[in-house]
Amino acid sequence: MLTGGSVLAAQGLTLGTRLRDLSLSLEPGLLVAVVGPNGAGKSTLLQVLAGLLPAQGRIQWNGRELARIPFLERGRAMAWLGQESQAEFAFPVHEVVAQGRHAWGDDGRGVEAALAALDIGHLRDRPITQLSGGERRRVFLARALATGAPLQLWDEPTASLDVRHGLEVLKLAKGLTTGGATLLVSLHDLRTAFCFDRVLVLDQGALVGFGPPEQVLTPELIHAVFRVQARMAESLILELPS
Amino acid sequence: MKGRTFGAMAALSLLLLAAVLASLALGDLNLKPMEVLRALAGHGDDLARTVVWDIRLPRTLVGIAVGAGLAASGVAMQAFFRNALASPGLLGVSAGGALGAVAALTLGGAAVSIWTVPGASILGAFLATGAVVLLARRGASPEHLLLSGVALNAIFGAGTSFLLALSAGQFQVSGQILFWLMGGIENRTWEHVWIGLPPILLGCALMLPLGRPMNLLSLGEPSAQSLGVDVKRLRWQLIGLSTILTALATAVGGVVGFVGLVVPHLLRLAFGPDHRRLLPLSMLGGASLVLLCDLPTRFLPGGVRLGVMTALLGGPFLLWMLRRRPC
Repeated sequence: MLTGGSVLAAQGLTLGTRLRDLSLSLEPGLLVAVVGPNGAGKSTLLQVLAGLLPAQGRIQWNGRELARIPFLERGRAMAWLGQESQAEFAFPVHEVVAQGRHAWGDDGRGVEAALAALDIGHLRDRPITQLSGGERRRVFLARALATGAPLQLWDEPTASLDVRHGLEVLKLAKGLTTGGATLLVSLHDLRTAFCFDRVLVLDQGALVGFGPPEQVLTPELIHAVFRVQARMAESLILELPS
Repeated sequence: MKGRTFGAMAALSLLLLAAVLASLALGDLNLKPMEVLRALAGHGDDLARTVVWDIRLPRTLVGIAVGAGLAASGVAMQAFFRNALASPGLLGVSAGGALGAVAALTLGGAAVSIWTVPGASILGAFLATGAVVLLARRGASPEHLLLSGVALNAIFGAGTSFLLALSAGQFQVSGQILFWLMGGIENRTWEHVWIGLPPILLGCALMLPLGRPMNLLSLGEPSAQSLGVDVKRLRWQLIGLSTILTALATAVGGVVGFVGLVVPHLLRLAFGPDHRRLLPLSMLGGASLVLLCDLPTRFLPGGVRLGVMTALLGGPFLLWMLRRRPC
């Protein structure tokens, strides 16, 4: 399973009952949705792949064993966005985003572009503690973006965002993949997963489906994993103005 | 922002300079600033030279060490626990130091050597540190460590109360214990300076480069690690340095509360949370606060000790802070 051409590869990942013998291999430039019911192991998988949570098994980034990659180098190669967006100390927004350049010696490159991309330029001098949950989320997304890392792991990035900013984040994610980056994004909205290149379905810590969404997200699999009936129908479609 | 930082550093340096001058000049024998400078240079009359060199300079240098050490330790604890209400005493280190010192005083250690009480205090604080480290080694979360600190504080506090009750009949010993528990830097000698000042200054110097990673840590451990910080190592550095600084400050100054809580918090409100600024500013501010709080103790009745002054300032400040920040 561990192949030379993959940007991210894992074999036999096991962590108690949270991950069970999970293997995967991702080519560069893919936008991958991670879906599954509550407690299926989505956040755990992203943390393990990011090297933040130790688990049994092997992980390789660009063909290199993750355990052997020094922390600073990891900070340049991978960005991780967790579910929590709490902040105790009142750092100004632009300083939080600039933290994304820590592994690059705080060179400040790409910080302004990241602020603009997440539509938070007007908040740059505001203390992060005074922002709403959705605004804080965009600040931490901008920090992940500012790293310039070719591998981005985002845990429910759109969870507290309004419709427009949610769509913009998805557009941004697609834009990153055209630049060669690989993104793993956990989601709850299965309809959104159809906009992704691949979908990775987890159930009780095990990988139960991986491939293009229209092949993987069949009514049978959705019923087996999520215990709901699924059928195709016309519904309200929300898009960004062209 | 750089100009503002420079201005703040300059202002606090001047404040510390003024506090040092006042600390050297004021007391039973009031000296003019020029007399202080002459005495420091080895000139002037014998009495002034003796007062400045043998009494007030050790007291002042110990005050600087205690204030800078406790404030730096407070900054580290607050970043580590991601909580502006964390303080150096949180992990039970000063309570351990207090128990060590009180045990030495109860056994009559003060009469044996000038090193006995500070030595016992350092031993007690390091035992507490050892307990903290054992807990941290097992990968304890900050919340876990916090509750362990509550338990250690209770255990060491019970030991101290027990020894205090045992010595209730011996007025001299219980007086010494009470005075020590209230904190103070009077009657300090050059031995106290050598015990406290060089290692505390070294600890402060080692902490300064950690300001940037502390910024990242204070917004969450996993995210700091994902951005390239070796969080495990940083946690060790912060716990190690802040406990050692607290242990040394307690050994030479007794239990001095609130400096480690109030100084970083006040300076954070004024100059923002960036730890690269906050660390040096807090060291200057902590040293100034201890010296300024020590001044009234020279003129007021014997019960008004350094720990009483810092608590009298710190307690109301904490209440004001809680009013500003509803829980």
